[in-house]
Amino acid sequence: MSADYDVLIIGAGIAGEESALKLADMGFKVLLVEKEPSIGGKMILLSKVFPTLDCAACITTPKVSETARHPNITLFTLTEPESIIKEVDNTFSITLKKRPRYVVEQDCTGCQECETVCPSVVHDQFQMNLVARKAVYIPFNIANPRIALIDIDNCMLCGACEQKCPSNAIDFTQKEQIISVKVKSVIVATGFKLFDPIHIERYGYGKYKNVITSMQMERQLAPTRPFNNILRPSDGKVPDKIAYVFCTGSRDHTIGNPICSQVCCMYSIKQSQLLMGALPMADISMYYINIRAFGKGFNEFYMQAKDMGANFVKGKIASISEKENGNLILRYENIETGEVSESEHDLVVLSVGLLANSSVTKAFKNKILKTDEINYVKQTNLLQSPAITSIEGVFAAGTATAPMDIPDTIMSAGAAAAEVSGYLNQLS
Amino acid sequence: MKKKIGVYVCHCGGNISDYVDIEKVKEAVKEEADVYLVKNTLFACSDSSQKEIEHDIQESELDAIVVASCSPKLHVPTFRGVAQRAGLNPYNYVQANIREQSSWAHSDNPVGATEKAIQLVKAAIAKARESEALTPVKIPAVNVAAVIGGGIGGLRSAISLAEMGTEVYLIEKESKIGGHIAQWDKLFTSNDKGSDIINSLYSQILKHTNIKIFTNAEVIEKTGSIGNFNIKVKIDKEILPLHVGAVIVNTGFESYQPLQSEYGYNVLENVITLPDFKNLIEKSDKELIHNGKIIKKVAYIYCVGSRQDDEGENKYCSRYCCTAAIHVAIEAKQKYRNIINFHYNRGIRTYGKQELLYEESCKNGDIYIQFNLENKPQIEVVKGKTLIKVKDILTAGKEITAEVDLIVLVTGMISRKDDTLINTLKIPVGRDNFYNEIHMKLRPVETVIDGVFIAGTCQSPKNILETLNSSQAAAAKANSVLTKGEMTLEPTLAQINPASCILCENCRNACPFDAIMTVNYEDRQVAKVNVSNCKGCGMCTPVCPTDAIDLAGFTNPQIEGMIDALVN
Repeated sequence: MSADYDVLIIGAGIAGEESALKLADMGFKVLLVEKEPSIGGKMILLSKVFPTLDCAACITTPKVSETARHPNITLFTLTEPESIIKEVDNTFSITLKKRPRYVVEQDCTGCQECETVCPSVVHDQFQMNLVARKAVYIPFNIANPRIALIDIDNCMLCGACEQKCPSNAIDFTQKEQIISVKVKSVIVATGFKLFDPIHIERYGYGKYKNVITSMQMERQLAPTRPFNNILRPSDGKVPDKIAYVFCTGSRDHTIGNPICSQVCCMYSIKQSQLLMGALPMADISMYYINIRAFGKGFNEFYMQAKDMGANFVKGKIASISEKENGNLILRYENIETGEVSESEHDLVVLSVGLLANSSVTKAFKNKILKTDEINYVKQTNLLQSPAITSIEGVFAAGTATAPMDIPDTIMSAGAAAAEVSGYLNQLS
Repeated sequence: MKKKIGVYVCHCGGNISDYVDIEKVKEAVKEEADVYLVKNTLFACSDSSQKEIEHDIQESELDAIVVASCSPKLHVPTFRGVAQRAGLNPYNYVQANIREQSSWAHSDNPVGATEKAIQLVKAAIAKARESEALTPVKIPAVNVAAVIGGGIGGLRSAISLAEMGTEVYLIEKESKIGGHIAQWDKLFTSNDKGSDIINSLYSQILKHTNIKIFTNAEVIEKTGSIGNFNIKVKIDKEILPLHVGAVIVNTGFESYQPLQSEYGYNVLENVITLPDFKNLIEKSDKELIHNGKIIKKVAYIYCVGSRQDDEGENKYCSRYCCTAAIHVAIEAKQKYRNIINFHYNRGIRTYGKQELLYEESCKNGDIYIQFNLENKPQIEVVKGKTLIKVKDILTAGKEITAEVDLIVLVTGMISRKDDTLINTLKIPVGRDNFYNEIHMKLRPVETVIDGVFIAGTCQSPKNILETLNSSQAAAAKANSVLTKGEMTLEPTLAQINPASCILCENCRNACPFDAIMTVNYEDRQVAKVNVSNCKGCGMCTPVCPTDAIDLAGFTNPQIEGMIDALVN
């Protein structure tokens, strides 16, 4: 059986990168596709990681660069699979849709001159909408590839960038490309979606300016942060009484996600430690149901946050209301005292959960990629070969299968690489 | 010879530039001899910065580069790669660590941090000035791995290695393979039987002719390096030498054994551990019977041996026990009529999808009572009745007393105390007594010993799914290293000038890696370095009375140059 690539890996976050690098090192030809304009997934946007407090950008960039330049890895950004068909000879016929960048990849030097002249200003999604970007933009400073793209929906077609570009890289004539390839196997590494707290009206996200998500706080704490300080959105004040609302969008049937998201307790505790470092005078309260500090070094890290002065309150936040000065009143039952209480904070961080990102299942046309009851890719041989899915030759890695943290993702991606290698050897 | 050196000073986002004045560093080093250009960069490791450095090397024909950034542990390979791609010998690259050694260490003193950074960069420039082109040593590697431990993790690693084309020696200390799981009945999340899973994996093992199993076997010696380890395995009374390229340690855990009288253990006959209770359920048929008594009310006391206070040394959470206890409680409820489960917990940690089991147990009517370490459950026997008294956090500290028939201590995982293996393999052990990986986040199955990998619960408590993932990840990593058939060794090795050697044996005595051998040179015997054993640690260099030994990449002129730069 012949094919263009040994394996197609869908998603170039840390799971996809890890699987790709392992297989490429073994000598297999890998096609890695990513729907965003940069690889690196969610991790590249994080501040520091628990419980080691390693700088996320510093530890993920080597992996990102290695992925981008490995001779056995072919990488397409802005690309998603349209259809995946399993053929009778066990190969997969893949149709990929590559969205136009409107910038010639080879010619762009990443100088950002185009950004200076673009008149269209929109929310920067990679800074979680905390600040603005231009319609022509480089996704973020450590993006890979670090080249511009044009957000055509927000572009006025004024041509200013085209005139300014010193290397004539702007090309408005680019069209969507359809690419057909044949591969021998597939890894689904499509990651997770963050819960959008707009769905919990009583928390006022989107209505009260000083209610933000943990990912927005993550950006404020990151080395490539937008403000160089922690600021609350309503008036740019440095907050001094911060609340964390745990389990926002997790363990909650009302929004359809009954499971625990596995990482939010720990990232919230990590943020509390970073905040206590950045704002030594600030009070930080953590409103939780149970603290899930289960992994290596996690419980010790939780104890450390307590010792540093974070105030842990056992009680699920029932509702949030806003005062005229932008401060927020949190109402909850304090489980340890048995009383219904209210407390005032000047910034509220919602510890949002992880949701399954299973849109890729639609691309499988003649075989069904099964999902479980909460829409994660189903692991059909869970306690023997966790990477195996309902389709022979299709494997799953990382948070496509369940919520998990970075080390678990790396190990799951390694396991998927082992399965693919074994599968390919047995084919030949 | 005069060199052209390029120096790059990294902001590391703000990790360095928040405390070290980057402009001052640039200014201070630009006049150093041989420095051709100095630049600053937001993230030197980012792809665009790497490309810029490559461009500079070619454009300005640089002979050496210095990057002043973070610890060399992470990024020396990154920047050596940059040099190589630009056509510069990678060993003409020197890294100055101005993050861990300056900005992070002296965040309270930015002026001092900046001064120290300047000295460190000057020292690195001095080293770069004396740097020489080196060529890595290539030696053949065998595509064979030893997997130590024949539990579920070891079996999984072995099968995956064999499927990928690596030959496997599976080494098990006990007389039978299968570990803990072979003895367990239904397992959480899938309800598969432990023995079925082990049998299924075992039958896969039998299909592979390239897996050899040794039971009653123990690794007692290891020499050599990645790609070429020589290990000795003691099987009963015989010693078997094996030649392997990598070792995967998958030796598992031990169940915590409660102390004498901990919650009445070994004192009251109706206090047992979680593994005992799992066995009891498997063996009891229509009624749940313990010591001849029918059991209706079961109390589970959580975190026994885990998350301990000052009296115990286990500060960690054992990860699997909350879910395991709840799963067994659900099973008891399904199997026997009228069972009532009381869960005395310290905050239930059914993370991820395991939450669904917690929910099921709550729907079953199980009673959850939460305590903290200051108020542990008190057990007393009054007129033959076993009573548990505790202040319940979930009802605002109300004191609750319940009469129960059986108390199950939900015991956690502890590391195996295997000193022979620790001494043989020299894997570092963490504060929690489990083996430590080289990098917790991104290299969770590798250790500081190249070619020695860890997987499963010998690294930290894990459930079965997590054990399988790490076991396969270790297999993938080992195979990706060995499958090329050759190993590239660092050329930073000791070299002995035979003309000056007087064979005093000092270097042999100093060498921790058994890398000094004796050869003939001009009718006399001299010492010579065995490159496949040498790690370039430098222990032999200072003890040589005739200065016959130098370490490539860390030569005397380089070290002296660095010292001069630091003290000037």
